[in-house]
Amino acid sequence: MKINFYLIEFAINSLLRQRAKNFFIFFVLSLLIFVLASFFFVASSIKHELQTTLSALPEITIQKLRGGRHVDIDTSAVDKILQIHGVSDAVARVWGYYHFENAGVTFSLVGIDAYEMQYKESLQTIAESFSLEEGKPSMVVGAGLYEVFTQNGYEEYFNFLLPQGGMKQIAVAGVFDGATSLESNDMAVLPKEAAREIFEMPSTKATDIVVKVANPEELPTVAAKLRLLFPDARVITKEDLEVSYQNIFDYKSGVFLVLFLVTLLTFFMIIYDKTNALESEEKKEIGILKALGWRVDDVLQEKFYESFLISFFAYLTGIASALAFVYVANAPLLRGVFEGYSMLRTPFELPFVFDLQTLSLVFFLTVPLYVGAILFPSWRVATLDADEVIR
Amino acid sequence: MNNKSKKVLVALALLVCGTIAELFYLQHAKAMSEEAREKKQLFVSLTSLPDLALSTEATFVRHRSLSDFFSIYKDDPSLREYFPSTFAISHAKTALKP
Repeated sequence: MKINFYLIEFAINSLLRQRAKNFFIFFVLSLLIFVLASFFFVASSIKHELQTTLSALPEITIQKLRGGRHVDIDTSAVDKILQIHGVSDAVARVWGYYHFENAGVTFSLVGIDAYEMQYKESLQTIAESFSLEEGKPSMVVGAGLYEVFTQNGYEEYFNFLLPQGGMKQIAVAGVFDGATSLESNDMAVLPKEAAREIFEMPSTKATDIVVKVANPEELPTVAAKLRLLFPDARVITKEDLEVSYQNIFDYKSGVFLVLFLVTLLTFFMIIYDKTNALESEEKKEIGILKALGWRVDDVLQEKFYESFLISFFAYLTGIASALAFVYVANAPLLRGVFEGYSMLRTPFELPFVFDLQTLSLVFFLTVPLYVGAILFPSWRVATLDADEVIR
Repeated sequence: MNNKSKKVLVALALLVCGTIAELFYLQHAKAMSEEAREKKQLFVSLTSLPDLALSTEATFVRHRSLSDFFSIYKDDPSLREYFPSTFAISHAKTALKP
């Protein structure tokens, strides 16, 4: 089809003739696209962030359950697990939550093996101002947690209240790099022994066990063997986590989307309804054009240019402002949906992902729908006799 | 083509260019750098805990992929979900597995 510039010019002038009405449609459509796109951008960035770190995770996590509740697992299970063929490593983990009542903050404590060589190297790479004093228990904390500590007067150390009373002083040896803040913001990494003392966990117990499997093909077999070996345990594979991530914005965000789609459809219904009962003036216009010798497809082409121009303008404006809103302004208001009202706030600086799927999804949800809602009623009028329409 | 139409088309072209420029800017300034990616992966391999610290108000929201079905009740037995963030992030599907 050849682009008819005269028709485009006519369409633009026709749009400008009813400036107020068309500007209002453009404004509402832009706003709808903006909200829809912002939500999708945040969701896709969070998914991207989760997928990035997925490869660094151990293949299997085993949690012991009793009566459906998670309880500590015996560390002796590690030896049994290591005997399974295909398992390259199994580590008993000690981790949990600590409630800091003064600040009303709950944070995660993760015990690692007493600053072994490999851990030391990793810590030095990802922690700022890392200084380790030998012989003194110390921890590396997330940036957000460190801020909470300093606000409460704990700059160099923190006093943990022990379950049986008394206190355990742990020095702050470093703060995790800002680049990791989406993962590390509310975490404190400390030696396993110190974590055990704070949780009052005997050395024969652990929170859970992580298992590394070198060959991914063997993963289902190893997982099945583990399920047989520990019938009381929950075996979570990396694949489960992946599936879980895909469901992260599950039916509840679906509800959000459905509500939103209802709004969108209502908008199109109003547009459709309005153009369907085309104002006598617009009807007359089509009639006159036909009387002047325009064919049905000329009228439709002109209406197509008109509706495409307005919806494409709105699409670009909505997308451009949503990008700025999410990635430059860090999504004020909308971030509340994802953050909740946790006391320990993570800087909401999401990594930008060029997500063609989201861009095209929003495009096809809006532009063709709008064009259709304009074209169909125009076609109905254009197929009538000019004489009938004008009269 | 009259002046008005030209202006509208120029505005459209500017908008297209502006959006593309914005995409380029974000790709350069706000995308995850290779260094940040490595640091994140190093941190996750160190702690082997997978989830994001976006919402920390409840254990099943913070470590959602490792949460069990009961961790929701641990916070309050009568209220299942009352945090705003659970409208976007809920407990893991794996939690329902035996």
